[in-house]
Amino acid sequence: MTTTRHPDPAASCCDFDRSRRNFLRNLGLLAGVGVITSTTGASFMQAAFASTGAASNVLLVLSLRGGADGLSLVVPHGDIAYAAARPKLAVPSSTLLARDAMFGLHPKFAPLMPMWTAGSFAAVNAVGLAAPNRSHFAAMEAIEDADAGSVERRGWLNRLVGLDLDESPVEGAQIGSAIVPTSLYGASPVLAMADIDDMSLPGRDSPTGYARRVASLTEAWAEDSTSLGRGARAALDMSDVFADVAGQPSEPLNGAVYPGGDLGKSLGDAARLVRADIGAEVITVDAGAWDMHVGVGGVDAGLLTTAVEELALALNAFFTDLGSLGSRVTVVTISEFGRRVAENANNGLDHGWGNVMLLLGAGVRGGRYHGTWPGLGDGKLVDGDLAVTNDYRSVLAEVVSSRFGADVSKVFPGFRPTPIGAMAAA
Amino acid sequence: MVAPVAVPSAFDRHLLSRFSWGITPALIKESAAAGGARAWFDRQLNPAALPAAPPARLVEWWPHLQWSPAEKFAADQAGVHPGYDQDNDFCRWTLMRRMTSAQQVQEVMTGVWGNLLYVSLVRKSFPHLPRYDATIRANALGTYERLLVATVLHPCMLCYLDNAKSTQKAPNENLGRELLELHTVGRSAGYTEADVKDSTRILTGYRVDVGASCKAWYGPEDHAVGQVNVLDFHHANASPDGREVTLEYLSYLARHEATAQRVARALAVRFVADAPRTELVDAVATAYLDSGTDIPTTLRALVDHDDFAASTDRKVRTPIEDFVNTYRTMQVKISPPSADPSGAATSILAGCTSMGQRPLGWPRPDGFPDIGDAWSSASRMLSSWRVHKNLAGAYYPKVGIEYKPWEYWLGPLPVRFDDLVDRLCRLLLAKTRTPRLLATAVAAIDVQPAEIVNSSHRAVRRMPLLLDALFDTPDHMTR
Repeated sequence: MTTTRHPDPAASCCDFDRSRRNFLRNLGLLAGVGVITSTTGASFMQAAFASTGAASNVLLVLSLRGGADGLSLVVPHGDIAYAAARPKLAVPSSTLLARDAMFGLHPKFAPLMPMWTAGSFAAVNAVGLAAPNRSHFAAMEAIEDADAGSVERRGWLNRLVGLDLDESPVEGAQIGSAIVPTSLYGASPVLAMADIDDMSLPGRDSPTGYARRVASLTEAWAEDSTSLGRGARAALDMSDVFADVAGQPSEPLNGAVYPGGDLGKSLGDAARLVRADIGAEVITVDAGAWDMHVGVGGVDAGLLTTAVEELALALNAFFTDLGSLGSRVTVVTISEFGRRVAENANNGLDHGWGNVMLLLGAGVRGGRYHGTWPGLGDGKLVDGDLAVTNDYRSVLAEVVSSRFGADVSKVFPGFRPTPIGAMAAA
Repeated sequence: MVAPVAVPSAFDRHLLSRFSWGITPALIKESAAAGGARAWFDRQLNPAALPAAPPARLVEWWPHLQWSPAEKFAADQAGVHPGYDQDNDFCRWTLMRRMTSAQQVQEVMTGVWGNLLYVSLVRKSFPHLPRYDATIRANALGTYERLLVATVLHPCMLCYLDNAKSTQKAPNENLGRELLELHTVGRSAGYTEADVKDSTRILTGYRVDVGASCKAWYGPEDHAVGQVNVLDFHHANASPDGREVTLEYLSYLARHEATAQRVARALAVRFVADAPRTELVDAVATAYLDSGTDIPTTLRALVDHDDFAASTDRKVRTPIEDFVNTYRTMQVKISPPSADPSGAATSILAGCTSMGQRPLGWPRPDGFPDIGDAWSSASRMLSSWRVHKNLAGAYYPKVGIEYKPWEYWLGPLPVRFDDLVDRLCRLLLAKTRTPRLLATAVAAIDVQPAEIVNSSHRAVRRMPLLLDALFDTPDHMTR
């Protein structure tokens, strides 16, 4: 790697001393169909290392793509209007877990009940965008951009990463898909990977041949000012780091068993990244089959119950796999919108507004339901939808400030968060 | 001294690069024979006048592509040909068409419209997918209005976006909404939720059996009658047979100014730049509206705009484009599929997917992103470089594929190394050697420009590395 040169300091600055500190500076985020991981920036990362030398906290943002039905995840069984609106699809009150007078969890959350009981799994009700937006794409863009009114195309994770004044070669990365999501678009460079094991240039066993290949690629890309040029330089810069990660055992630890499918694979890769301890601080994972206009089904069979089961098993495996490292890791779920309160005639649910966010792991004030509840009764709904009484950015703001000490006004410009109380103070 | 391999002019290279799946020596000849790329383009806009030979034969490689939807459904149910296997073969066939079709502009536009009027690989629509694709191809160079009607009301789209079950009693808004948001006017047109509801009501009645028969029919009893208002479209919608109001509605949408802007913008992003200038989009939109949504007229306005000529090499090739282009420029011949899964006709799908993009693999109805930022991740670079290496060295695939012999790439020996690099740049990149490309080649195999390469020179042994190095460049990975 010493042959790599970087004539463009803005695009790529660091030397190739692979000290641990440089790993931290260099490695940004990991993302995917995937997973996104990002460092939050040297400003607080360096502070964390300078002061304690300890490993940093990790945020995993899990996007439930398609608009998950929050009312089936955290069921408002105590709201009389719920069962009335869903004669076929209401999750029966008797099956619910962690049931209080108003709410209960879908029965397929059973694998996560130990975390609920231990106080490290919580839900925030009636969250979402400040105004209804039933377009998947516009809603996702708005959520991932999280800078209302700005025309700049830059996602909140990219802004989080961009708090770093010391521009490192790679501050964002993605696992599971080569496609960079909106939350990562923007000025700060990002890394993305289809598979964590494929993140290094092959041919390292032949030092001469490898050096020639790196030299040739450097000639080809060193001065390329396009997005491809940034990607190429990121690939060259990170190749060594990921060769180390790939060299470590890939089997889950502590008896963890991930469910088959993309979500389990992505969370397994995310756990490997946390364990590799190379500075990934924000990881996002997409789990994308929640758009259930038809065939939602009941608690025994159907699209929804299957999806909840996969989600719960994967998250349980993730925290089991992490073991004591889990004390550094916070998971938050985001979905572009909830579903309409009333079921449609195809055993399905159309696009709605208010939704639920789940919080698990470090710093979570768990074992309880957070957020003001607007109710489902007459006059409470907005055009047939659960109202949003808790802006999703208020939840994220609590997470990034409590876990990373991030300046909320820089991550969510112009936004004033309302206290939710879902996270323990830093 | 032999005459060097011919390369097109800068503009011709640009046009061929944007409107084909990859420039080959054969394509350069074809363009020269037509009197230049612009004349070639005009010819391509009338695909009926072009030879169709290779793609017509290709369909026989995977017989189920020609089965009826009911036959495809039955084969899936019987476990003979599971639906996902049928989808995989459809993807392979798509890649093969792009590699081999003589109707390159039609094949490019089929991809563009297929991404705008997108249907992903999902169970509920798979029996109809090959016919949907054929419908797009047949209308790819007609008018957008006809294309819109043919696709939105196609059983494949009706199943994909749940209109198949939408009735007046139980309207399903999925298609009614995406028709506005994705296929026509877009959100900036300012339609309301009430508009979405009426858009949905207009479309009620177009039914498809999502079960064994896969039959499509119009059900007047399912059509929601009564006044509908969507933007400035108003109709009494009094008849239970809503087909007339639907056609009027789709015609209204196709010819709407906001649709013109949306289509023009999609074309400008695809063929000019990630952030096209408003002037260009306006000019293309005007041609679209003035010509009654005529696609060739619209494309000519785009190609003849100054912004097009000024945008050389500015677009990132998506992984699929990179993959197909690499196969084309390697000039390989692929044999029909066999039982061997490593055979090229079969393994191309895994190869393409490993680059990070599988045909129709985007999970949402808005189609793959078409801007460089989305396709420039480090992972994409590494996986592209891996595929380049396998092909450049003829390492993989090895079965069911015929590579050009190394003598072809070397040309007459002895040759100065810089002249050899020039030859390869012409063959692989359709351009002459640049200082950067020469430096890239020099670094790749440690041979100096003035060295004379004869048959025992180490450069001969290192030809796989040399080809690979030229594929791993901005020159190959942009268009």
